[in-house]
Amino acid sequence: MNRRTIGLIAAGALGLAGGGAALADGKTVFETNCVACHGSGVAGAPKMGDAAAWAPRIKAGQAALYESALKGKKGMPAKGGNPAISDADVKAAVDYMVAQSGGKGGGDKAAEKAPEKAAGKPAPKEAAVPAKPAAPEKAAETPKPAPAPAPAPTQVAAAKPAAAPISPAAEVNAFNRLLKPAGKRNLPPTQDGIHDPANDGTQLLQPPMEAFKILPRSPGGNGVNWVQALESNKIAPRYDKADPNAAPVVMDLNIVREVKGSMPDVVYPHKQHTEWLDCSNCHPAIFVPQKGANQISMAAILLGQKCGVCHGKVAFPVSECRLCHSKKKDTITTGAAK
Amino acid sequence: MKPCRGAVAGAIVLLAVLQFLASPPARAEYGDVLINKRSEKEGMRPVVFPHWFHRIRFRCKVCHNELGFKMRAGGNDVLMVDIIEGKFCGMCHNGQIAWSPENCDLCHSGKPGLQTKIFGSHQTGGPGRW
Ligand code: HEC
Ligand code: HEC
Ligand code: HEC
Ligand code: HEC
Ligand code: HEC
Ligand code: HEC
Ligand code: HEC
Repeated sequence: MNRRTIGLIAAGALGLAGGGAALADGKTVFETNCVACHGSGVAGAPKMGDAAAWAPRIKAGQAALYESALKGKKGMPAKGGNPAISDADVKAAVDYMVAQSGGKGGGDKAAEKAPEKAAGKPAPKEAAVPAKPAAPEKAAETPKPAPAPAPAPTQVAAAKPAAAPISPAAEVNAFNRLLKPAGKRNLPPTQDGIHDPANDGTQLLQPPMEAFKILPRSPGGNGVNWVQALESNKIAPRYDKADPNAAPVVMDLNIVREVKGSMPDVVYPHKQHTEWLDCSNCHPAIFVPQKGANQISMAAILLGQKCGVCHGKVAFPVSECRLCHSKKKDTITTGAAK
Repeated sequence: MKPCRGAVAGAIVLLAVLQFLASPPARAEYGDVLINKRSEKEGMRPVVFPHWFHRIRFRCKVCHNELGFKMRAGGNDVLMVDIIEGKFCGMCHNGQIAWSPENCDLCHSGKPGLQTKIFGSHQTGGPGRW
């Protein structure tokens, strides 16, 4: 790994983490209000990250850009069409776009603003979600420990010069193109892409991370190990709609399904399932209750059949191979037994 | 309702939806169900049902057996009058077990234009990882 790569990753991490306080602020505003046009460049909007499209505009100066963003300019509606955003937030979004599109103005601005923000506001990114305090969850959201207010600004300043010139390329050749970085999982409802941020009720909904931070984590799905969460009494889901004391009817019966080839065999545990589900959720519609009577294949599971009715939708997804394929083959004969 | 702002917001939302369909993978929480069989036709935002939130409080069995929700996104024919009469979501959202149906915008909180579906599946947005 060369130094440039490290710089890039460090800058990326800062952008996501609380360290880039001022930038994160602008990013949120951008993602909720401006991305519709500036994300892909519709209606002649200069595309985010497109240095060539931004260069002439950036030359006009930061003040002129603020002016256009606040008052509107041709296809650009005032404040992106949402009069509810504060002037400061619009400016922060402009700074963010400029910084990501080859300009330095935003970066300097961000560095100036950082100390005041880091000291004064604990969670600037969540400013748009007043209903629920979310300060501690931010630390959990990113692997980086919560930055102490003092060193944060210097980190931003140090990372900036490296980040600004190479950021357009970084957008295209991001290290992970499809794998979601930690900061893009468990997003609050206002940013998750399916809730309408303009709806008042959206602000009142609980951000998933707030609930998940006290639960055992796992890499797939919600990022929560629901089996452990239940076993360790971190959650106490009711078994009856109204009666909190009703106890589930748990059946402890493992069914081993031998798998051809080198994959470990599948152990299907009734115990973990009957903690959550009723027999009639699976029998007989999904599985005939008889060992070996059901044809199950990975292809079917990936198509959402058999185990895939739940796994890949609500229960942990298919990426967690080892949770299902949990029985090591000890002898060669087990493979032949099928 | 401020009609003027509504129109602008509508246009933006439409663009946002185009954008959404065009490129970025859904960042919705795993297991969220978007229900839009009738809502938008009737002038409401689509409904977002969060599985993660409810499974912290109830076992699957409560909804999918006791209350009879079919395990299929869009598989239940839900009318608002039914909910107010205490069926479907209204079996709990009745002011006793959970807050009452008058909090329209807590349920009808989805982005207009989205289709009924569950947001689960592969984290990569690409094909399976094996
Ligand atoms: C409805 C689409 C749309 C939305 C939403 C939108 N913009 Fe724009 N924006 C445009 C268009 C189109 C232009 C190009 C205007 C022109 O012809 O110079 C533009 C240009 C700009 C410029 C450059 C102005 C200049 O003087 O060169 C800035 C800065 C800007 N937008 C900021 C924002 C911010 C900040 C937001 C979110 C709060 C936002 N925009 C949301 C369409 C949009
Ligand atoms: C088995 C009972 C039950 C059923 C059925 C049910 N809910 Fe809920 N729901 C709850 C409880 C309990 C809460 C928490 C209430 C509180 O916070 O006071 C809740 C909260 C919610 C929330 C708010 C989550 C948050 O972030 O605070 C939404 C949205 C919601 N339900 C939507 C729905 C929808 C849509 C349906 C029908 C498709 C539904 N619920 C069916 C019990 C239920
Ligand atoms: C999550 C789905 C699921 C649930 C819930 C479930 N089962 Fe099963 N059950 C299975 C699968 C899968 C098999 C294995 C079928 C096979 O091997 O083809 C099975 C097999 C069985 C068998 C056959 C065992 C054998 O040795 O032949 C019985 C009996 C059975 N289940 C009873 C129950 C009962 C009773 C309950 C409720 C307490 C229940 N199951 C709940 C999925 C489930
Ligand atoms: C009706 C829904 C449903 C079906 C069908 C289903 N599961 Fe599950 N399964 C669950 C739920 C819910 C859990 C709890 C963990 C979670 O949600 O991530 C679970 C947990 C498990 C676990 C426990 C993991 C652990 O950490 O201990 C295994 C193993 C498993 N499932 C395998 C299977 C296999 C193999 C099949 C198909 C034969 C299957 N499941 C079918 C819903 C289902
Ligand atoms: C939800 C549980 C589950 C998960 C997760 C899972 N599998 Fe499977 N897998 C099964 C079951 C059940 C079978 C069928 C076993 C049988 O033949 O009875 C199977 C079969 C297979 C087979 C044999 C060929 C076939 O298609 O039937 C291979 C290879 C395989 N799995 C690989 C994987 C890999 C790789 C992963 C991780 C990416 C994975 N599986 C994740 C449940 C699971
Ligand atoms: C509070 C009620 C509630 C609880 C608890 C609940 N669900 Fe659901 N589930 C729903 C609703 C509502 C739908 C959507 C039905 C519709 O769109 O008509 C749904 C849909 C589904 C679907 C269908 C997705 C598809 O493929 O279309 C699956 C699978 C599912 N749930 C599994 C589970 C599992 C597994 C659990 C337990 C971990 C669970 N549910 C807990 C209410 C609930
Ligand atoms: C507990 C969650 C919840 C609450 C609260 C809620 N709804 Fe709904 N509503 C639903 C669900 C689920 C549907 C079915 C969605 C679909 O099929 O598109 C629905 C459907 C509708 C529909 C279309 C179907 C029909 O019956 O015409 C309208 C209109 C509607 N709701 C209005 C309202 C209004 C107005 C309020 C506030 C008084 C409200 N809803 C509160 C969950 C809720």
